[in-house]
Amino acid sequence: MLRTEGLGYWYQDKEQPLFQDINLEFEEGQSYAILGHSGTGKTTFLSLIAGLDKPREGDIFLNDRSLKQIGLTNYRRHDVAIVFQAYNLFNYMSPLNNLLTAMAITNARHAGDRGYAQRVLNDLGIGDELLTRNVQRLSGGQQQRVAIARTMCCDAKLVVADEPTGNLDEDNTKEVIDQFQRIAHDQQKCVIIVTHEPDVAARCDHQYRLENKQFVQLD
Amino acid sequence: MNFFKRAWLNVWAKKGRSVLLILVSSAILMFVLAGLLIRSAAVKATETAKTDAGATMTLSANRQAAFKKMQSSSSSSSSKSSRPKLTLTPVKLSDAKRIAKLSNIKSYNVTSSTTANAKSYETVSTSTGMSDSSGGGPGGMKSTSSSSGDTQINGVTATALTTDFTDNQSKITKGRGIKASDQGTNNVVIEKDLASQNNLTVGDTMTIKETTGSKSTRKVKVVGIYKASSTSSVSAGPMSTDPANTIYASYTLANTIKGSKYTGTADSVTFNVTNPAKASATKKAGNKLISSKYALSTDDASYQAIKASMDSVEGFANKIVWLVAIAGTIILALIVILMIRERRFEIGVLLSLGEARWKIVAQFFTEMLMVIVVALAIAGVGGQFVGNQLGSQLVSQSTTTQTSSSRTSGQPGGSGQPGGGSGGMRGGAGGPGSTTNSTKTKNPDLEITVSAVDLAELGGFGLAITFLSIMIASGGILRLEPKKVLIS
Repeated sequence: MLRTEGLGYWYQDKEQPLFQDINLEFEEGQSYAILGHSGTGKTTFLSLIAGLDKPREGDIFLNDRSLKQIGLTNYRRHDVAIVFQAYNLFNYMSPLNNLLTAMAITNARHAGDRGYAQRVLNDLGIGDELLTRNVQRLSGGQQQRVAIARTMCCDAKLVVADEPTGNLDEDNTKEVIDQFQRIAHDQQKCVIIVTHEPDVAARCDHQYRLENKQFVQLD
Repeated sequence: MNFFKRAWLNVWAKKGRSVLLILVSSAILMFVLAGLLIRSAAVKATETAKTDAGATMTLSANRQAAFKKMQSSSSSSSSKSSRPKLTLTPVKLSDAKRIAKLSNIKSYNVTSSTTANAKSYETVSTSTGMSDSSGGGPGGMKSTSSSSGDTQINGVTATALTTDFTDNQSKITKGRGIKASDQGTNNVVIEKDLASQNNLTVGDTMTIKETTGSKSTRKVKVVGIYKASSTSSVSAGPMSTDPANTIYASYTLANTIKGSKYTGTADSVTFNVTNPAKASATKKAGNKLISSKYALSTDDASYQAIKASMDSVEGFANKIVWLVAIAGTIILALIVILMIRERRFEIGVLLSLGEARWKIVAQFFTEMLMVIVVALAIAGVGGQFVGNQLGSQLVSQSTTTQTSSSRTSGQPGGSGQPGGGSGGMRGGAGGPGSTTNSTKTKNPDLEITVSAVDLAELGGFGLAITFLSIMIASGGILRLEPKKVLIS
């Protein structure tokens, strides 16, 4: 589904790249964990496959179409859903409006369907009493579940998450990873999680470690 | 259009910020509206001044041409005994009627003045320390064919058309004034002091004695009594009789007293101009209808003074509008820039979802638009108050400037000559009660009211200010990279 070819990135000096010549393939219905120490470039890699930045060299292909061809805005709108460590919800909206807004922007199949959004939130443990409450009044775990629900409501086949459990306790971490697994296996989406927690990575179908500017498959 | 909903949710959720923006926008729009209101009121006041202040055009003998003629005769004549005289040709009423047909002429007043002696009554005497003159009227040139009586007779078409009455320097206290229907009659209007001194009242008759020709007597009927303010004597000149001895009659009576050759003539004819702004064009058209023996002069000093004052108010109001609009745009742009800076994460999330940048800008614009609509309503209420305060301040300031400038430029007596007869015309065109415009003007109060047009114009300004401030501020949105905002 997603393929990188000769991918490389550096900030200022080409001689000191974060990574280079990366050739990876990610499949639908699978979850992937990318491990690595801080500063190794795993988040930068995620920003490239999420369409938030352009690679310095190489290319990324979605179903054999280059992201350059698709266009980054189009790619972000239709093909990829992102979950951030800081949740990044619309802080002036309720969980329900967050989902409806995302569905409207991405032209999702269920755009405008309040019932669908409500069911997705309920499935993730956001009860009816929380649906119309401002997201700033939810706990961290609840906010992250709203962020995950947002990815589920959109039709994107690729879900990327940057340290999604970084701000969560053990119980919430387990819950969130379970959700990602369900998204991968039940909804047949490709889930790529960047994490520095080996326990989280261990629960994914495939693990890669970024070290010495290269990805090493661990499983 | 999802950004409309987002805009509404944001404005509603962040009530404090929205209220603050509404207050700032209201203040800006209130001053813009005040400027717009003052400007439109000044324009309206100038329009009103056209009818209220008016302008006049006077047809009289061409003194300059007559003087030149006299000079050329003088140089050709060597005999001292046959020294040429300044002869002014009386205005023909037929000429006046032709001019009156011009499109910009509203009405006209014929003036023919003369003097007579009291026969059945005593004139009011004023002890000025000067002896009465038996020659020509003061200010005029002594003429062999003229002699002065103790009663000034001002022949007019109607007293209501003379500036003495229109400016309330003279007021009818009993009976009525002279009307156009008095032509061919011996009806007169006399001064209150003259009436009380001689126990005369409306309906009484009095006898006057002509000063020329057969010096016959003539009975006149009092149809009205007027009260003259003391200032009238100023225009009569120092050698004139007491202003109370001025009686008003139809110009036909004045012409009859002057002699048969004056039938169908006048000393001067004053035309009231409909649109003072076109006074000079009307004068030009009028000049084509008359011979060089006559001259047309315009007097639109009152209109020009009000116009100048209102122009200055309008100019200042324009500056207010533009300065506030520019300052408002800058202030709002700065606020929006700060607002956008604190909403970088939201913009980043929108960009990560694939939202088009123009839709994000449109969301901010819609939010500001919602604020501006409420601010417009507030400004509509408050703008009238601010406009009234500013307007009255501006008018009083402008009146002070105008008064001080008219003190230096105003000439006593306006365009008329101060009293006296000249040549064959007894009583000059500028005798007492003549229809000359005074330069004394009162600035109209600005009627400041909020109309639908003003609100529409304000809405336009509000929209432009919002659009510009958002455009200035949205440079940041267009340059924003979601990765830098969302992934640290």
